[in-house]
Amino acid sequence: MKFLAAFRNTLLSLVLLATAPLALGDAYEAKLPDEINTAPELCKYVSCGDVLPGATVFSERKGQPRYVEGYAEENGQRKLIGYVMLSTDITDTPAYSGKPVITLIGMDTGGRFVGVKILKHSEPILLLGIPESALIRFNQQYIGQFVGNNIEIGQSRPEESIIGLDAISGATVTVIAQNQVMMTSGTAVARQVGILKPTIREQAKFVETGTKPDWATLVKDGSVKRLVVKPEQVGLPRGDTLFIDLWFGYLNQPDVGRAILGDAAYRNLMSRLHEGEHALFVIRSGGVESFKGSGFVRGGIYDRVQVRQGGDSFTFRDLDSSNLYGIEAAGAPAFNESAIFIVRSKAFSAAYPWKFVFLGNRVDRATGARSFTNFDTEYWLSAAYLQGGRPKVVKPDAPWVKVWKARAVEIGLFAALLVAVAVVYAFRDALTRRATRKNKWPVNAFKYSAWVVSIGFVGFGLMAQPSITQVLTWFHAMLFHWTWELFLTDPFIFLFWIFIIVTTFVWGRGLFCGWLCPFGSLSELLYKVGAAVGLKRFQFQLPRKWHDRLKWVKYGVFFGLLAVSFFSMGLAEKLAEVEPFKTTFLVGLFNRSWPYTLFAAGLLGLSIFTERPFCKYLCPLGASLAMPSTFRWFGLKRKQECNSCKACAVVCGSQAIDENGRIDHRECLHCLDCMVLYADSHACPPLSQERKRRTKAGLPLTPIGANGYFIPIKPVPARAEALAPKN
Amino acid sequence: MVNPMMPTDPAAPPYASTQSVARLIAAEIRDHLWPWSRSGFQRQRAVQAAGLALALAASVAWVLAALGQLQAGAVIGWWFGWSVFEVVVRLGSKPYVKDGPWWGRRYRVANTMDMVCYVGFKNLLIGATLFIGLKSLGFLVI
Repeated sequence: MKFLAAFRNTLLSLVLLATAPLALGDAYEAKLPDEINTAPELCKYVSCGDVLPGATVFSERKGQPRYVEGYAEENGQRKLIGYVMLSTDITDTPAYSGKPVITLIGMDTGGRFVGVKILKHSEPILLLGIPESALIRFNQQYIGQFVGNNIEIGQSRPEESIIGLDAISGATVTVIAQNQVMMTSGTAVARQVGILKPTIREQAKFVETGTKPDWATLVKDGSVKRLVVKPEQVGLPRGDTLFIDLWFGYLNQPDVGRAILGDAAYRNLMSRLHEGEHALFVIRSGGVESFKGSGFVRGGIYDRVQVRQGGDSFTFRDLDSSNLYGIEAAGAPAFNESAIFIVRSKAFSAAYPWKFVFLGNRVDRATGARSFTNFDTEYWLSAAYLQGGRPKVVKPDAPWVKVWKARAVEIGLFAALLVAVAVVYAFRDALTRRATRKNKWPVNAFKYSAWVVSIGFVGFGLMAQPSITQVLTWFHAMLFHWTWELFLTDPFIFLFWIFIIVTTFVWGRGLFCGWLCPFGSLSELLYKVGAAVGLKRFQFQLPRKWHDRLKWVKYGVFFGLLAVSFFSMGLAEKLAEVEPFKTTFLVGLFNRSWPYTLFAAGLLGLSIFTERPFCKYLCPLGASLAMPSTFRWFGLKRKQECNSCKACAVVCGSQAIDENGRIDHRECLHCLDCMVLYADSHACPPLSQERKRRTKAGLPLTPIGANGYFIPIKPVPARAEALAPKN
Repeated sequence: MVNPMMPTDPAAPPYASTQSVARLIAAEIRDHLWPWSRSGFQRQRAVQAAGLALALAASVAWVLAALGQLQAGAVIGWWFGWSVFEVVVRLGSKPYVKDGPWWGRRYRVANTMDMVCYVGFKNLLIGATLFIGLKSLGFLVI
């Protein structure tokens, strides 16, 4: 009993130690002033000088998307030295948490990044485990880089002019999102201020048929498009009235232009356009919001609408717009606001797809804070209106596609591992029949191989250790901003979870927990190695009474984390440090502060003496998977005699077989030791008894059937001809 | 004699022996959605009645959410609270769960943990479907 008390106290101490010193990051869920998103004087609320060294004076926000100019004062004169941008003014790209990493970025007049500062993030992995300084160090890699460079996460590929940045191990999704934020923000401002030249596109050559399609036809062939924003999309209460309902279309195409404007107005408009200028119309047929904006003043910029093509943005000043009094096309909806906008740039071409963008603010209903958001609809003239049809457009791969392509070999190997383990387990009957109590290698060869690959390749190599934090993050993402791309960006975790979900329902959690969980594998491997090196006499199992009590602790941990996550995801993420996975695989035992290292090392050390203590008593992930394991389709086999025979229960390392011989599939880790006994005629008492009986009676030993018994010998009546005397 | 081939003793819901697959599926769907039974009411009238009242309240919570008049957190709270009570109700009225393949006909007596797992999993699926559905329709705003 002294030992039990010591064991319990040790566990308790380790848990307390692990959760006590919480090294909080400065920017995690930092409270930022509400004005940061809306105030013209951005630099009054954030320290712009930190990201644009040397600048002492800053302009108000300007441009679309917005940025700030930074000036240095020399000899009493101001000199423009660069630009400062708030990432959320330009893009709302979410990171792994489903929320954006709000970043302040400085760029000099030559287009080189000169400063990056994280103002706020909600990334759970950076809360504990990986220090926030890792993201700061990651961002430092941008300093000195030209914004027009092709910068990606991973290795540099000079032959493709790609500059690679070192990722943060264990936070791949976060840094991929951050790279997108940096490059999108930088290029948007660099193009506006002329650092990056716009892409010159070949101008469209139109087919003129002389027809005048009606409104319905124009909508059907895509010559007129609609952009709808609902109030709830901008954080307002849901209602019957739309926030804004816009129709727009391209007018230079003669058939479309004449259909919309009528012949005379079309000719008049075209006569006013110069080469490389393009007209498009916009009408508001519904909604309460103006697309021109109530704050628009003569000489100013329309700050609610914009055209984007590729990386180029086109905004409109008052001189770029004219009145649109009516629409000629039959069937056009009534409208209460209208305009013709002129794109004055050769970079724009109607031959290629473009987007009409409505720029808005989303109000957080909980805090009242406003944040930037935009809504767009893609437009591409029908091939019938273009000479030679639509040109071929190669769209760049999405970030997650790039990751899958870049790591195709590893992904293939990992998928092969998952399939191989599932196939091996599916053939467990055949393997356990080949094995005996004294020679379990037909099973263990596969299981031990899976452990070694899981620890080395999956755990330390790919860092694909599933964790309860992922479950909590999904919950968070589901509430705030679910995007499949985010989860696809980490292909190993994505594939692993598909495997876990499928196999848990087919066989129970044991296949993952017992064969493929990197930490579980490491834990049991240490136990086996301990036995092999002579520590077997010190190895022990907890008495059944204590095991039956302590096994509920992991469910308590899981429900505790789940309950806390309802109120505070941040706190739940901190408490999830009860999992030693980050310390062991993601960050490294020697790269964390001592309580974490002590906790993880303590659990691993204890694993040498007792089998999988963490898996049996503490693991919240195991508990969350154990619950659906109640309803696994195919469990392990039992015989009626198992109710009185204790042979399997004695060898069950996970102590999942009770005094009645029943298997608790929530606790079973699929070691298959009981299944080896089940078919071993020298170890399974009912089989052994039958074997001895048959041997004594001189009866043949038939193979073991699927029910775990010798196939019965059924006397067959001899056929008459066989009995007939032979001549 | 204990049957070690099942985690708990076998059970036979009233519909288990029906020959019609359609009737079996209909009965199982009803079982998933309706936790009460006549025998349950006879045994623990107060608990079952309280469960009925709480289920009604939880249903009203979902309706209010569908009308856009309840915050997401409140709906989750109501659903969680009801789920806890449903475990108690079911243990008194329909104390069995399915064992093995979901398309099979093996049922067994549910202990408390079995019922927690069953109700938790079932209500997670129902709740997630309703929650995501209402959210995507714009009724629930986070």
